[in-house]
Formats: sequence, structure tokens, C-alpha cells
Amino acid sequence: MTLFQDTGGDPRAARALVADVLAWFGAVGDAAMGNAPGFAPRKASLAVALAKTANLPEADWPALYFAGLLHAVGAIGNPAYRKGEALPERIARMESWDAPAQGARICESIGALPAESADMVRWQHEAWDGTGYPDTLRWTGIPRAAQFLGLADWFVRSHDPEIALGQIGLASGRSFNPDTVRTFTMWFHLSGGEVELIEAPADALRDGPPDLQTLLERFADRIDAHNGVDGRWRRIARISDATASVLGLAEGEVHALALACRIFGAGEIDEANVEDEAFDPLARLGVEHRARNAHAAAVLAQPFATLDGACQVVAMRSEWFDGTGKPRGLSRKSIPVASAILAAAIAYDRLDRGERIDTAAGTQFDPVVVRALMEAAKLRA
Amino acid sequence: MIELPERTRRISPSRLYEILQAYDCKSIVDPFMGLPTHLNYLKRHGIAVHGGDLLEWFVRVGEGLITNDLTYLRDAEVAEIVEMLPGRIYSLDLFKAWEGVFFSEEQCVYLGVWYDNVRNLRSDQQTGLAILGLWRAFCYWLQKMQNPDDMQDTPPSELAWSYIRQTEQWVTSNMRRNTVRQGDVLSTMSARTGDALFLAPPPRNSFRSADARIWMWEAWWQGNPYFTIEHAYRDSLLGARAADAPSYARAIASILSSGDQYPVIIVQTTEQRIGEMEPLVRNARANVETIAPHPYEIYLVATK
Repeated sequence: MTLFQDTGGDPRAARALVADVLAWFGAVGDAAMGNAPGFAPRKASLAVALAKTANLPEADWPALYFAGLLHAVGAIGNPAYRKGEALPERIARMESWDAPAQGARICESIGALPAESADMVRWQHEAWDGTGYPDTLRWTGIPRAAQFLGLADWFVRSHDPEIALGQIGLASGRSFNPDTVRTFTMWFHLSGGEVELIEAPADALRDGPPDLQTLLERFADRIDAHNGVDGRWRRIARISDATASVLGLAEGEVHALALACRIFGAGEIDEANVEDEAFDPLARLGVEHRARNAHAAAVLAQPFATLDGACQVVAMRSEWFDGTGKPRGLSRKSIPVASAILAAAIAYDRLDRGERIDTAAGTQFDPVVVRALMEAAKLRA
Repeated sequence: MIELPERTRRISPSRLYEILQAYDCKSIVDPFMGLPTHLNYLKRHGIAVHGGDLLEWFVRVGEGLITNDLTYLRDAEVAEIVEMLPGRIYSLDLFKAWEGVFFSEEQCVYLGVWYDNVRNLRSDQQTGLAILGLWRAFCYWLQKMQNPDDMQDTPPSELAWSYIRQTEQWVTSNMRRNTVRQGDVLSTMSARTGDALFLAPPPRNSFRSADARIWMWEAWWQGNPYFTIEHAYRDSLLGARAADAPSYARAIASILSSGDQYPVIIVQTTEQRIGEMEPLVRNARANVETIAPHPYEIYLVATK
């Protein structure tokens, strides 16, 4: 099954799809690291603005932008951020130092990215005086673009631009090259400290492997590993797909459902517990929790047109058939079938005995969907 | 004003670790270790590391970062390093020769104080950590001389305190035996063994143009502001006897042939030097893989 709309051989449209999926994964990385929504595009835009101010070669700008966009993806699966890890503070800090290198490895595996992006991600937290991580590079051993990325991180993280300006000034010669700080000061005075968001330079993406669907599936695998539920989306996608076949869903709905299976796990990434561990999937007690996760996954996907259809499916997967679900209390036919299938498939995957899902038919789940799911499960067995 | 040269060589330990993993290496020997922060990274990731260098301060830092598994400095101990202690006699004019040339009078006094205080620490591990922290303060001063208006004026003791504290965060254990030793390349290679030999040989005659931040700190550690790095390199394999190109090539070839017992040899080089290095490596080993992510960072991975 092809997950994404056919671009009719238009390379620009194909690259725009890739850029969307990369930006989504970058947003998931931010969530894993606990950054505010929109952190990555702001960081990327500021890093590029600094590169322009410093007259860095124009060819480096797209690589720098995508490095900024994917700056935190190394946190997904890193033991310092991963679910279920209760590491002592010192060990957790050391593990977190590896996030940039892990992010670089992810970037290296994405053939579409400009080649330079990976090492910009790797060295974004290196400090001029050699006290950074992961490689403890020092002085001019740190590429300038990576320094801009690190400085942008510092600035975007700060709540007050004026305070950030002062702090960055104090870090001159320690965290940052004095020349980099001078560039930043110049940018600050020219722009008034306002980061102007720029559009992702999708045209700079390449045609390298893997294809977009494989890429998204790798991201979904990584998200599952982070959440401590390896292979979950694949199991849920299989049963959802079979259920959709039994029900004879339209092609568009099947695609939206398939996409939703791959992105819903992102909603659990910054929660203390994954949905699986918190409550019985058939209990009313977990409804708020499920709704929060569904909302979080939808919010992450919402800005990206490529994921729009799936976004709706994910958002409504915590509604109950009898109208007592969350967040909107939709009931019966007002809940999209794809959302109902996704909700039932997630619960079914968690149950020790699949038949138990029958007990929630007519309350939590649409009885038609439950019957179709049981039939699909039997067929698969 | 002293010139601080551009770095023309880069060792990325995270990439080196990826190479070691790809070749299933669990231990490494680095006889040209320099400042062993890269070995600290590998140690942290479970690799047994053995380093060697000619300069003593690198080895001392190695005792703090490589052989040290659990020693830290308490606040009181850091306080005893960074400031003059009442009742102790200090050689305050030890580094007076640098005054007005490289450093201010106050900075030279502190260099003398630190020199004495560091020697009174209780263990080699603490000494290693302190040397690294103080070196970073020293580098800050040299950098500030280049950019006087861009960098903050920080009191010397405060600067040293923050850097020593920061240095401690790298202390870790990998439950393996890790060592450092002071010695020439061949003696380190014969004294230690491992799955991989990592060589980042200095360029020919590089001791004549060594970074001031390196040789001046050796001078500080030796308590001799007139120290030159040529002293350390005089009788070494890549010292004055390897001043011409054929001798240098012979010296590198002898290192590679002495590394016969290592299953993997990783030579770190640059685009500028790969022409002279690659034939030597290919001459020593049948299989050579080139990993070249950057012009400043090229790894030749040689296996039998």
C-alpha cells in the first residue's frame, strides 16, 4: 500500500512531502527532549539567519536548516529520555551527551538530507573551550555552522531575548567562539532579537534512499522503541488494515488509517507512562489519559499537510461509541470509522485475551468495528 | 601577541567509536594520545583504553580522566587549589618571565600559586583533574588576549573553580583496566596491547610549530617558563631524526610494522597528508578502508 499521495513524478512535490515528514519527526524529537512546540523551526531559522549574517557559503544554509529541524531526534530512544529508565542523575546526564551523536547517525541514514547536516547535528553542543559534548572538540575544530546551531539553541531556549543576549555575551570564549558571539550580537541588533521563521528549503533535499514510506516507518519504529513498546505500531497497523478490509473502507480512509497507525505513538513520547502501562485499555479510568495522548499526537502532526488526514483519525481515537469519550464526546456515526478501528486495534493489541474486547462493544467501541476486528483476527490466525 | 593557530586536524571520538563497533574492537591503544578527552569518551562507552604521550601534562590529565574511576575533588580541595593558602610559601615569581609578554602580573602570580597548590594534592587522579581544569582557565586567558573586548573579565580563582568543577563531570568507570603512560610511541605499543591501534601521528616537524596552548602548559607543569617542546621530542622517533620526508616516512613505516599484533590499525589523517600516509598504511596491511567525512578528519582503517 502506498501511504502518500502520488506526486505525479513532480520532484518538487515529492521533496515537499519528505520535508513535511522530516519536520514532523523533528517536532517529535523536541517533544522527547521536553522542548516547547515549534522549537526546532525557530532554532533552524535563527541558525540560518546567523549563517547569513556571517556570510557563510549559501550552499551551507539548507544543511544548517535541516540540522536545526532535526536537532533533537537523537533524544528519541536515548536512555536519558527513554521511557522506563530510572537512571541516576549523573548517568542520565552522561547518556544525554550521546543524543547529538545518535541524532547524527539518524541523519546519516536519511539519504534525502544534505550530507553536511549530520555533522552539524553531531557537533551542535560542542563548546569552544572543549567542555561540550559529545566529542569535546575545541576551538576551530568545531565547524562554524555547528556553533551557530548551538547558539541558536541557547537563544531559543531563553524566555527573554535581552537576558539571552547577556548570557550569550558572557559565554564568549567559553561556550562560543568570540567571533560567533559577535555575529550573533550583530544579528540581534539588526533584527531586534525577533526570529523570523523561514520556510523549509525542500528543494535542497536529495533523492537518496530510503523512500518516504520506509523513512516514516523507521521513525515509527524508533518512537516505539523510545516508548518501550517495540513493534507495536506494526502489529496495530496489520490488524487495522485487515479490519478496514473486512469493513470495505474507502481508499482514502484506509490511507489515513495506515498513516495514523504510524504516528499515534508520538503522542506518548513526553508522557511519564505509555498508554499501555497506565490503565486497562477497556477501563473508563484511562479515558483522560488516552485523550491527552491522542491530542498530543494530533498536535504534533497538525502543522503538516502531508499528515493532515491521519491527524483527524488520531485526534478522535479516544472518543467512545456511547458518547462518553473525550475530548469532544462524539458518539456513534459522528466518530470516523478509521478512528474507531484505530482505537479498537490499540486496545486489542494490549489485551491478554483478544476476545475481552467484546465486553466493550456498544460502549467504548462500535460493535460493527469490534465484529470486523475479531473476524480479521481470526482470518489472520 | 601570541598566535593561536587554527586546528587543522579533528578526532571525533563518537565517529571513532562507530568504527570500533563496526570492527568489533573492545580495546584500543593510542600512543599519540595528546589531550585524552577522546579516550575518555571511548572509556565511557565501555572500551578499554590505553594511552601514551611524550608530554607529561597529557599523561597527568590521563590519570584524571582515564585511569581514574571514582576520585573527585571536594569543595574544600578545589578551594585549596585556586587560591593562595595562608601559611604556605609560594614561588610567586616562577612565571615572571611571561609577565607583560603573555600574561598580566596577577595572572603570573596565580600560575605560580596553582603550580604549588596542585603539587600538594592527595592523589594523582585529583592532580590530573586539576591540571585539566586549570589548563582551560589558562587557555581562556590566552583567548582573551586575542579578543579583549569580547570576553568577560573573571577573577582567576573563580575561573579556575568553574573549570575544575566542570572537568569532574567526565569522571566515569567502565569496569575495565585503563592505563596511560609517558613514553615514545614504540615503547607504548610494546607495553600495551588491544584490539585496535589508533595512530594520529603528528605531522613532520610539527613540534617546531606546536600550539602555544600545549607547549606553554607543559612549561607550566615543569615549572620552567623557558621550556620548549623540543626538549620532549629530542630523542623521540618522530623528533629531530625524522626531520626530512624519507626519515619521517621510515619512522611511520616502523610504527606500522611494529603494530603487527593489532588486528585493526586506525590511522587518523587529513586530506593534506593522506598522500604521504595512505601508501605507508597500504604497504603495511592488505586491507585498508578509507573513511573520510571531512578534509580535516580522515580515518584509514587497516586490517590483515
